[in-house]
Amino acid sequence: MANSISNTTIVMPGERVTSIEDLAKSKRVILGPGLRRLDDTVVASKAGPLRHKDPNTFWVDNYQRRYVPARGDLVLGLVKAKAGDLYRVDIGSADTASISFLAFEAATKKNRPDLNPGDLIYARVLNASADIEPELVCVNSNGKRGKLGVLSDGFFFKCSLNLGRVLLRENCPALTALTRQLPYEIAVGVNGRIWLKARSMRETMALSNSILSLEQTNYSQIDRICGDLGEVLQE
Amino acid sequence: MFMNSNLFEPGKSKLERNFIQSAAKQNTRLDGRKSGDFRDVKLTFGADWGTVIVAIGDTKVLAQVSCDIGTPSSARPNEGTLHLNVSLGGVAYLNESQTTHDQRFLTLNSLLERTFRNSRSLDLESLCVAAEQHVWCVRVDITVLNHDGNLYDASTVAALAALMHFRRPDVTFLDEEIRIYSDKERELIPLLFLHYPVSVTYCLYKSNSHYPYVDPILLEENAADSIIVLSFNSYNELCSLNAGGSTPTKAGIIMQCARNAAKRSKSLVDFLKKALLLDEQRRNNKEPIMEGLVSLLTNKSQTISYNHLMKEDVSDIVMREKQEIPEKVKTEDKPVAVDAEPHKKPSKATPAPINDSAWLPRDKEASPTVVTSSAPTKTNRNKSQRGAGQQKSTQKHSKQQNQSDSEEETKPVIK
Repeated sequence: MANSISNTTIVMPGERVTSIEDLAKSKRVILGPGLRRLDDTVVASKAGPLRHKDPNTFWVDNYQRRYVPARGDLVLGLVKAKAGDLYRVDIGSADTASISFLAFEAATKKNRPDLNPGDLIYARVLNASADIEPELVCVNSNGKRGKLGVLSDGFFFKCSLNLGRVLLRENCPALTALTRQLPYEIAVGVNGRIWLKARSMRETMALSNSILSLEQTNYSQIDRICGDLGEVLQE
Repeated sequence: MFMNSNLFEPGKSKLERNFIQSAAKQNTRLDGRKSGDFRDVKLTFGADWGTVIVAIGDTKVLAQVSCDIGTPSSARPNEGTLHLNVSLGGVAYLNESQTTHDQRFLTLNSLLERTFRNSRSLDLESLCVAAEQHVWCVRVDITVLNHDGNLYDASTVAALAALMHFRRPDVTFLDEEIRIYSDKERELIPLLFLHYPVSVTYCLYKSNSHYPYVDPILLEENAADSIIVLSFNSYNELCSLNAGGSTPTKAGIIMQCARNAAKRSKSLVDFLKKALLLDEQRRNNKEPIMEGLVSLLTNKSQTISYNHLMKEDVSDIVMREKQEIPEKVKTEDKPVAVDAEPHKKPSKATPAPINDSAWLPRDKEASPTVVTSSAPTKTNRNKSQRGAGQQKSTQKHSKQQNQSDSEEETKPVIK
């Protein structure tokens, strides 16, 4: 957490966070994931270290593997089935997401995208609400696909949501360190799924193993792990 | 729609399947093992008799044995009963649909039934208290805590370890009255075994049907085209074979699997026996035992590791052999290197002759493709056990037996 104060207060669900309440008396505060306002009190709804970003943002950085969809998230999904003019896509949330036949670049009623159950797609969450199933799209507002769409070849694996978020952070040290070792393509979904493709299968395997080993590490260990990878591949 | 129906299991997507298939073509595995390498097996015994947790890599299984007095079946009035029960609730998150769950449950249950019950591994007659009236009913509850492939081996090892660890109270039957003694009054009695079976799992891919992967992880298992599960006892007798799937497999490959599986089963049983001895020593020394399941899962201090325990053993024998016949040891094998990696040593040496041929017809094709070369150090150990194996082997194989005997006699000459 480079840009947050490194106070390691651990909060548990249901715990009152009085430090935020005190601050809220003098100025406006923003409560992020894992914190809730109940009348005049601030209560944690998830367990984990309390994080703070200046000037007034708070959130709980909890360890989680279950994805809760949110609008605008980039996710990796597996096509489960065709259903009328929709595809059912598994994105690891409580409910399967759906994506329309027309939500692909240059797709028309006649020209349908060729997707089959078991395919992996990189998509954006269009709308997400607790009561209706999430909807995905593979185009931006201009109708261009950009980086979204079907991912073929390569390897795909699941990890915790935290690791996904760590990799997605701007100038993530892990990905920079890995880039120094070898070229590769990567697609990280905030739903804790990662797609990888390197030049050879061996490299892809090495990369996926080193990324998975980042799960329990701190920033100081990342460089060491990435260095190890280079040594292994040079053998 | 089911709550958990939205999760794809690892290995079920097209991408993963293709990747694993191409990896199989190059004979590489995701975790860096060779096709014939096993993961480490770890055992932790609980405070109660017959409680054990077995971990193979990330796969974790808890087995608990209990017993009580019941009535025998009318078909077998002088035998106790053995009931095996598997609970897959711990990995319910994996099950994509109800059918996957049922299928997994059924295969596992039938494997256990065939391995332990149908092969009559337990001496059930010794569990009889009074014929047609009272017998001991032994029950094995297997709870799957985590699934990372090879649930088959984990649950058979767990069941066997728990049964071997279990002790039942003593009982007397006088004047139509049963009296069960508590452990304070009389010592508890271990169960009697006729043989010790464990299973070994292989998975095969269409892209490469020559190198079956042993001890697959979940990804490999789910992406596999066929899975072969073989149960062997320590006498090299086949107890159950489960081979399905769609890979065209040569008989030679299955034979080769069987040969390696028999060897593995034997060393697994050896390991279990050693681990039980170690546990008994700890109990006799009044070392603190772990109370409760949580400490059983989290406390690693009393975990017994296969690689660790058997490594000592192998290096022990290697050292002893060196002292006996120092001229035979290759000069490039420094003693330090042997200590550090005793498992590597056999693979460097010339592939040792397979001496399980007593019960298996050998075909010429299979021998050059043997993946795991057996340790030359093991050869001597196996020979001493051969007598038992031969006595037990069926008459059907008597021809092969003779053939292999002559083969073995010639071997020293070839060496």
